[in-house]
Amino acid sequence: MLLELQDIEKRFGGVTALRKGNLSVAAGEVHLLLGENGAGKSTLMKIVAGIVERDAGRMLWNGAEVSLRTPSEAAAIGIAMVNQESLLAPHMSVAENIFLGREARGLFGWVDRRAIVSRTRELIAQYGFPLNAEDRVGRLSPAGRQMVEICRAIQHGSSLLIFDEPTSSLSDTETQQVFRIVRDLKARGMGIIYITHRMDELRAIGDRVTVLRDGSTVHTGMLADIATDRLIQHMVGREVAAIYEREHLAPGAALLDVRDICVARSKLKNISLILRAGEITGMAGLIGAGRTELCRAIFGVDAINSGSIFVNGVAARIGSARDAVKAGIALVTEDRQVSGLALRLPIAANVTMANVERISRFGFLDLGLQNRLASELGTKLRLKAASPAQLAGTLSGGNQQKVVIAKWLFRQAKIFLFDEPTRGIDIGAKAEVFELMSELAREGAAILMVSSELPELLHVADRIVVMRQGRISGELARGTTQEQIMRLAVMEAAA
Amino acid sequence: MRLNRRLTQRLLPFLSLIVLFVALSIASPYFLTANNLASVARQTAVFNTMALGMTIVIISGGIDLSVGSILGLSGLIGTMALERGYPIGIGVLIGVAAGTLCGFANGLMVTRLRIPPFVVTLGTLGIFRGLALIISNGLPVHKIPAGFSFLGEGNLAGVPFVVWMLVICAVAVHVVLEHTRLGRYAFAIGSNRVASVYAGIPVSFHVTSVYAIGGALTGLAGMIEASRLMTGQPTAGQGYELQAIAAVVIGGGSLNGGEGSVVGTLIGAFIMGLLSNGADLLNISNYWQQVIIGAVIILAVTLDEVRKRRAV
Repeated sequence: MLLELQDIEKRFGGVTALRKGNLSVAAGEVHLLLGENGAGKSTLMKIVAGIVERDAGRMLWNGAEVSLRTPSEAAAIGIAMVNQESLLAPHMSVAENIFLGREARGLFGWVDRRAIVSRTRELIAQYGFPLNAEDRVGRLSPAGRQMVEICRAIQHGSSLLIFDEPTSSLSDTETQQVFRIVRDLKARGMGIIYITHRMDELRAIGDRVTVLRDGSTVHTGMLADIATDRLIQHMVGREVAAIYEREHLAPGAALLDVRDICVARSKLKNISLILRAGEITGMAGLIGAGRTELCRAIFGVDAINSGSIFVNGVAARIGSARDAVKAGIALVTEDRQVSGLALRLPIAANVTMANVERISRFGFLDLGLQNRLASELGTKLRLKAASPAQLAGTLSGGNQQKVVIAKWLFRQAKIFLFDEPTRGIDIGAKAEVFELMSELAREGAAILMVSSELPELLHVADRIVVMRQGRISGELARGTTQEQIMRLAVMEAAA
Repeated sequence: MRLNRRLTQRLLPFLSLIVLFVALSIASPYFLTANNLASVARQTAVFNTMALGMTIVIISGGIDLSVGSILGLSGLIGTMALERGYPIGIGVLIGVAAGTLCGFANGLMVTRLRIPPFVVTLGTLGIFRGLALIISNGLPVHKIPAGFSFLGEGNLAGVPFVVWMLVICAVAVHVVLEHTRLGRYAFAIGSNRVASVYAGIPVSFHVTSVYAIGGALTGLAGMIEASRLMTGQPTAGQGYELQAIAAVVIGGGSLNGGEGSVVGTLIGAFIMGLLSNGADLLNISNYWQQVIIGAVIILAVTLDEVRKRRAV
């Protein structure tokens, strides 16, 4: 075995992150690491990569026990981690980033740029990365940055690579590219640990699988020997319907009517879209098709150049997010940590943020009322938190998403724009988010659900609108297939 | 047990203030005298008042480097009003209004020009100071009614008047921060500006208000300073901005925004005041005082960071 972890334990203060972390990885295999958020995957990987030290247990590297105290010690023996959020210098070139900290020294100890560039070109050619050595990293797509991270890891001569959700922000084509590279690395005899939340991509990439739950390894074995439903059961520790089924209601009045809007800045062209009460409208498309941009335009963040928006049948002038919020529109953004939550503030402050008026009495905040209302919403949404005073940043991804949704419920919004609502949250929480969305629809809200996970759209949405290159390329009724969606997303709409 | 440790860590600034207080009482027989304590209170009143304003600004994710210059300019304008024969109360209000206007100008530029507050207030640091020198022709204002000294030097019910002022201001700022919409928005904007915009918070309005409040408190500090010196000095307050920022930071405020408190800031300002007073009493040179205060700033923030890293 390349790597063996035996009964790894790790505590942070009073919180036990790992109780019995067991994992073994052989050279030339892709080992999937599954588990809900908070199950201890990241901590286990940080121990392997030398970012945190274990409290107890044994780590064997090629059969010999090792203790890694820093990432550079891990790199020295051949372990590298490809990070989920790129840790790259955006103003520097691809080549400079790959060799950052390991620059080839030329005459007088100067950085030898030419050597770096030519070695990067060799690397790119060898693995067939779609990269250019001299491009600035800041201009690359998320997939491009991911590949620079991979190059960095390979260049450092690693024999074990850890991928932490590499495809969570990639389009399907880009995902395929990453898969191809992972298979190539495997064929060259490298050991690969691959963390993912996307159940649909497991089989395409993995050989063996290990499942963590509450800090302990609960299953390990060949992927071919286990059904996906069983894996999910191991992850959540109980029976969960793998796919969420919801009742479908007859749609009511048009709450939001977008007519022929164009946005020059984000290249949106002639978009018309109606969102009705009680209906969940799915929105599919490739990354860059303009789905997030459409949400931003409706929400008043990006200025609309032409066209109009009607709310409840009345023409609305939405020139800012504030106007949109006042009109009853809510935006649940795809990156909740960046634009959804104040991480250093308590849950209660986040929940009430968009409607502080509701807890104001004669100009002063009624903190008792605030905490009571926030707790009530928390209970309703099954938020797992110690108290309304807990900081939002200390919650898991799924619970953070619930706080964001609670914020808009507290505002009593009627039109919800969900942009990738299940990104980075675990399966149990996903089902809960869908349930919440259904409940909102049942109570008469109009919902737009942007998602790159086609199975989710197919099961949750009442109809699916597909975007392609800044336009709506078609609309599909409930009961359509992934193939039909992809055809609209990739090709010109049928005349 | 764990809660106790966390509580101890949070109380650390307060505990160090007490330790400092006790240590100074033992080290110097003059420290624990009514005269000396009153003089510490008067000396720190100016910094304390400024630091209260800086607390709100820093919580909202901003910074105001121009407060030293605002202090000089508003003290000057206020004393010039007194020189023209305005009643003392009106003169003080004029000084406060001048400070408010300066803060308002900072806030407008930060929100309208969309330039980082560090740069805006670095610019106005020069502009406000220059204006004070231009208006006064570089000369201090001397003809001030004697009664004006009451603000900085007088006693009310046996306690320095500035202490009453400080208590009122501190309570007011605390209430604003913890119990009003403005305070809540300041925390939200400082913690995550984008999320605040998306939540429909009128960010520009509140950021401008925050700077204006900071300016108002600095204007008041300018009048206290003028009253203590009984002159309107166009050069008053040079370098005070760093003292005010240091007080906030020692008290647990984060320059990244979203964190800070009135109690913390007051403790920070008193720690600095006691250090400087103690150094005087113990005949430690001014040069060393600067080194000590600098070291305390770094130590305080380091301890605070360690606490936060453990907490998460």
